[in-house]
This record gives sequence, structure tokens and C-alpha cells, in this order.
Amino acid sequence: MLRFFYLLRGYVMIRLTGFAPERFMNLCSNKGILLWDVNKCGQEYTMCIGLKEFRQIKSIVRKTGTRVAVLKRCGLPFFVPKMLARKCFLFGMILAIGFWIVSSFFVWDIRAEGNLCVTKDQLFAFLEENEIYRGMRKSSLDIESLEKQIRRQYPIVTWTSAKLEGTRLVIQIKENDMPDYERVQDGEAGNLSADFDGTIVSMIVREGVPKVKIGDSVERGTVLVEGKIPVMNEDATVREYLSVKADADIVAEHTRSFHDELKKSYLQKDYTGRIRKEAYIRFGSRQLKLPADSPFAVYDSVVRETRPEVFELLKIPLYFGEITHREYQNTQHYHTMEEAKGILSDNLTLFLETLVEKGVQIIEKDVKIEHDGTKWILDCNLCVRERIGILTEIPEENVGEAEEAPQ
Amino acid sequence: MKKKSVSSSAEKIVDRFHLPRDICAGAICISLTGDREAWIENYRGILEYTDTSILLQSKTCRVCLEGEGLAIDYYTNEDMKISGLIRCVKYL
Repeated sequence: MLRFFYLLRGYVMIRLTGFAPERFMNLCSNKGILLWDVNKCGQEYTMCIGLKEFRQIKSIVRKTGTRVAVLKRCGLPFFVPKMLARKCFLFGMILAIGFWIVSSFFVWDIRAEGNLCVTKDQLFAFLEENEIYRGMRKSSLDIESLEKQIRRQYPIVTWTSAKLEGTRLVIQIKENDMPDYERVQDGEAGNLSADFDGTIVSMIVREGVPKVKIGDSVERGTVLVEGKIPVMNEDATVREYLSVKADADIVAEHTRSFHDELKKSYLQKDYTGRIRKEAYIRFGSRQLKLPADSPFAVYDSVVRETRPEVFELLKIPLYFGEITHREYQNTQHYHTMEEAKGILSDNLTLFLETLVEKGVQIIEKDVKIEHDGTKWILDCNLCVRERIGILTEIPEENVGEAEEAPQ
Repeated sequence: MKKKSVSSSAEKIVDRFHLPRDICAGAICISLTGDREAWIENYRGILEYTDTSILLQSKTCRVCLEGEGLAIDYYTNEDMKISGLIRCVKYL
């Protein structure tokens, strides 16, 4: 700590030679002058002394018959004049500090955390719509309003927090990860009707009156389970109908078809191997690159962009990128039979996988691949078992209508 | 030869009342940390300084620190710190 103060006040390292250096040190200590880092190198002594004290030792030097030579000047009193002499350096340093201070008034980075369903692109597009972008002033940012806007825009977002960490805006989001159940209001009644043609193979009714049985063939729109339960009087007449929401697990067997086509000829990019690279620097949304003509007649481009770690840490939106233009020629190719079968089969497999994911059971399939000169055609007929029934409204004239029992 | 009296009357009082010798009798106070550092108080001055020995004058005696590469980290009227390899401390 003492040395720090001496650095502020300035000190010199001196070389002491002569008849009685020990006496010099004793007289210094008697005068209350601090000496430190005292070393003996051969016949010479080196030591450090404060700048103010150095001006007081003239009489001691004369008295002791020693000689003092300054070896090194250290501290602020020596550093400042040097700095003042280097005007460009000083100007640059002041400019850098000024830039640093001014930069701290802006938002230089936006980071989203915790978003799964709401993608970053969606979120950033929404932020830009609301005039929140990299390079905006911190003072024009209303964090509370931003949080509210995000929650209002995305109902799946249950909690959001936005905060400024230096010049970085961090938006934390908590999404609703509970399954989204179909919300049905109390008292909402309905029939369960067939949504496709088929034959009933299994049936478990939880609520409502079943109108079909296993083995029945049903058409689209047929009521499977009625949401109108009759309440009977003692004399077997219907007193009233209770409206309920029909609920049942009904599986029906039916046929599905899948059709896919593949053109016999197709265009393929054949790269010539000629490439041209172009470097650029991007600051925020502004891109800086050397002007250049279109490199090739037909080409595609691959952009590779990096952000050095130091800019990431300092939250400066400076990116370095390289665009590689690759020349190609469009060449017409023809699918061979094996290729065509492979592609069409892959498409069919993908379709079957999506069916299985939906809980559809595939009983039988009949696949046919044909060629009609210009294209390959895949036709597939599937015999499947899947859940049938959608909730439909109960016709109004029937709701609550009591029937008279025969006398 | 007549043997010199070791203790003066002031020292006798200090001993009798168990007073601290460094404060009352002006005895030199040396604190050693291992064999690398020494803090010294209550001295009058340096009589001789080389990189192998430092001879100090105190009120009551002379003290010589011998060793290798001896350097004075700081030196004031109150105390001083010596660093280097200290081999022995002699009272002369």
C-alpha cells in the first residue's frame, strides 16, 4: 500500500557510492526519510527514495561525502508529462474511453433463454416489430411493457422476465409444458359422430347412449354415441332428456389410400468445381464488403459467419463472414427404376410412420408402383384400424324433448 | 581482569517489575521469520552493510546478522526489514 502511494507521489531509484554509505542511510532515517529496496552490488549501493525526499538529501550527501546518481524514475509525476508529450496516444485513449462510455448507453446484444416452442427467429422478429433491436438506446427500452407484450403475443408463455445485463438484454421465458387439453365448458353436450366410413371393431362407452354396435358399418356423420340420455318415469314414459358430452373409445376398420408421384426426369446441380470466396464484416445489421460483380452465371452461395469470443464477451455485434460462391450447371437426370422405387418407398414409409404415431394400426397394405412414360406412380391401399368419432352438436329440436309413452 | 557489571540499576528495576525490556530499557527487538526475513526495532543505526553481513548499533549492544544476499527491504528511524538467507545473529 505504501508503495502505491509512492507510485502516486513518484520515487527514484538511486545509486550511492562513496566513503560512508551507512552514515548516509543513518542520517536519512534520522531525518525521517524512508529508504527501501536497499541492495549492495559490489562497491555500490542501490536504493529507492521518494521524489519529495530526494530533494532533501543534498545536505546529507555533502556531509557524508557520497555521490548519488539517479538510475530510474518511477511514478505518476514522471508518467504524466510523458503521456502529455504523446498527444496522439492520449487523444486515442480519451477517444476509446469516450467510445466505451457512449457504447454503454446502447443495447448491443439480445439473448433469449428458455424458449422451446417460440423460436428465436419468431421472438426476434416480434421484438423488431416492437422496435427493440441491437443498437437501440437503453433509455428507450420499457422492460415491463416488453414482458407484457411477449406474454400477450404468445399465450404459451406463462412467465417472462427481461433484464439488462450491462449492454445485453436477456429475455427469459417459461413456456407452458403441460399438455394442452381440449377445454370443454361445463354443460357443453354433444353426440359422438363418425368422421369417416368404416366398420366398428371395438367399442367402450363411458358417457352417452350407444347407437351402433361392434360389426356395424357406419358412414361419415352417423351418430355413434348420443349425448342425450332419457330419464324414464315409473310408467316407462320419458320424463326428460339429460344432455351429456358423449365419451367413448371406438375403433373402426376402414381403408385409406396413399398416392405419390415422381417425375422421371429431374434437374440436378452439377458443380463445376469453380468457387470464389468473398469476405465481409457485419456490424449489427450493416454488412461491409468489397464491391464485386456477379461471380458466375449460375451459382449458389454458402455463408459462414463467426463472432470472435472477445466480441461475444464484450457484447459487440461484430461478425466476420465468408461467402463461398459455387458455380454449377443444371443437368437433366433420369431416375432409374431402383432409385424411383427407393424414393417412393421412403415417402410411403414416412407416411406409415406418421400413421403409427397417431395410434393407427395397419392391418393390410397393397402397394403398386407403375410407370406411365413421364412419371413413376405409387398407389397404396391400406386397411387400418383407428379411432373414430368426433364431437358434434345435438340437434336442437331433440334436446330436452320428452316423448309420450304409448298408452 | 575485573568483570564488567552486566546489569545496570535501570535493568534491575525493569527485571523487578517485569516491565517490557524493549520499551523501558531500549533493548533491540529482532523478529525472525524462518531464515529469510528479519524485522528489527530499537536500533540506532547501521554501522556496516555488505551483502553477507549487517552490523547494527543498538542502545545496549551491537548486533551482527550474517548470511548471503542480504538486502534491506526498507529502512526508517523506527524499524527495518532485512531479507536474504540469514545464517546467524551475533551479539557483540
